[in-house]
Amino acid sequence: MQKDQTKRWEHVPLESLSSVAAELVKLLSKPSFVAIQGEMGAGKTTFVQALLRELGIKQPDGSPTYAIVHEYVTKPGTKAFHLDCYRIENERDLAQLGLDELFEENAYFFVEWPDKIEKILPEHANWLYIRCEPEGELREIVLNYDN
Amino acid sequence: MKDTIILGIESSCDDTSAAVLRGSEILSNIIAGQAVHELFGGVVPELASRAHQENIVPVVSAALKEAGIGLEDVDAIAFTQGPGLLGSLTIGASFAKALALATNKPLVPVHHMKAHILAHFIDDASEMKPTFPFLCLTVSGGHTQIVRVDNPLQMEVLGNTIDDAAGEAFDKAAKMLDLPYPGGPLIDKYAQLGNAQAFQFSKPRIEGLNFSFSGLKTSILYTIRDQVKLDEQFKETHLNDLCASIQNSIVSILMDKIEKAVQETGINCVVIAGGVSANSELRKRLQAKMEHGWKVSIPKFSYCTDNAAMIAMAGKFLFESGVRADQSISAQARLAW
Repeated sequence: MQKDQTKRWEHVPLESLSSVAAELVKLLSKPSFVAIQGEMGAGKTTFVQALLRELGIKQPDGSPTYAIVHEYVTKPGTKAFHLDCYRIENERDLAQLGLDELFEENAYFFVEWPDKIEKILPEHANWLYIRCEPEGELREIVLNYDN
Repeated sequence: MKDTIILGIESSCDDTSAAVLRGSEILSNIIAGQAVHELFGGVVPELASRAHQENIVPVVSAALKEAGIGLEDVDAIAFTQGPGLLGSLTIGASFAKALALATNKPLVPVHHMKAHILAHFIDDASEMKPTFPFLCLTVSGGHTQIVRVDNPLQMEVLGNTIDDAAGEAFDKAAKMLDLPYPGGPLIDKYAQLGNAQAFQFSKPRIEGLNFSFSGLKTSILYTIRDQVKLDEQFKETHLNDLCASIQNSIVSILMDKIEKAVQETGINCVVIAGGVSANSELRKRLQAKMEHGWKVSIPKFSYCTDNAAMIAMAGKFLFESGVRADQSISAQARLAW
């Protein structure tokens, strides 16, 4: 899963999530798959909501933890999917959720807890890491991506 | 004129349920839970829909049998159209449609969130029935909202969560404390022994009547990070205080907004619905409001969690006002309000 490029944002306060999201959407340049790693409370859902706003979604829905997938239409013909795989535990049942078919769509995918669906993650997935820094309420955000 | 008899069918999430309502009296309310979910730490949709398929026929039969009626006695079949998990909803909707077709009975589609509210009008739901207009705080694992109710058919959502639902916040906080699923009731249990002021977490800064719980999660994360640096055993040794403080924070977020809604609307009749209404701190804080002139109604817990009794009750209101669905109706995961 080696990617060509790495972009790192350090000491990011909550207020700056939207400007980081704007830069990130420009780096991706086209609909792509983003697997997002970060512990509970790191800000994954909040950051995906910022990404969706950058893509023109005025009022993103809440966390998809309950429904697993939230689907959005960003502009005519382009979709964005916000997934939270937190509640998926079992590979046999994972296959029956049909996510692998969903991933064949040409759309943005923002996927939280991607390690739960490791077996079906696309090779071309870009990786985003959100970490709480050891001091203060700041985050480090790292994107490993291909152009 | 004889009382209307409604068969209600609910399958929006993890429990398959069927109930028979006569007038406003529940004759049966059968709920088949899905213990499989506890093994998997949550509700997995595919698992849910498979179990609904297995449960629905026996659950409906049991509801009719316990009520002591036959299908021919039923005036209408009410079912949950949405919102919920699509796979689960589809089982209930397909079954209700097939049953309506086979028996030539009217079919009534019900909105799950509205049904939570209308459950208050079941005869034995509570001692004090709400009077219109009233406010309902619906709090569960999938939803957190404040609804203004002007009559059984006219409701308006005043506030919603912009991220996690309250029940989800409880479960996720529990996970951060290494408690097993479902963690919400465990937090309530340990909180009884703890100091609710031991830890202060950040409060959401969100305008209007909407809710947010993501900042609280982050705040809990940072508190644990900082304290574990000083004491590796921190989570274990301070479990009661952590639970009490977390519970206090979540309930305060809920209370702040419902108080604001009362102030803004001038409506002081407040009811709660949804699984989180079992939380002891939320009940206590709401009941305390009765001394400040609020009329508060907390329904019996069996009508708070997902159940078909509430679907039958909502179905009765809709049926009597002429609402019918034909065979073209389908389940909708994100059914509009």
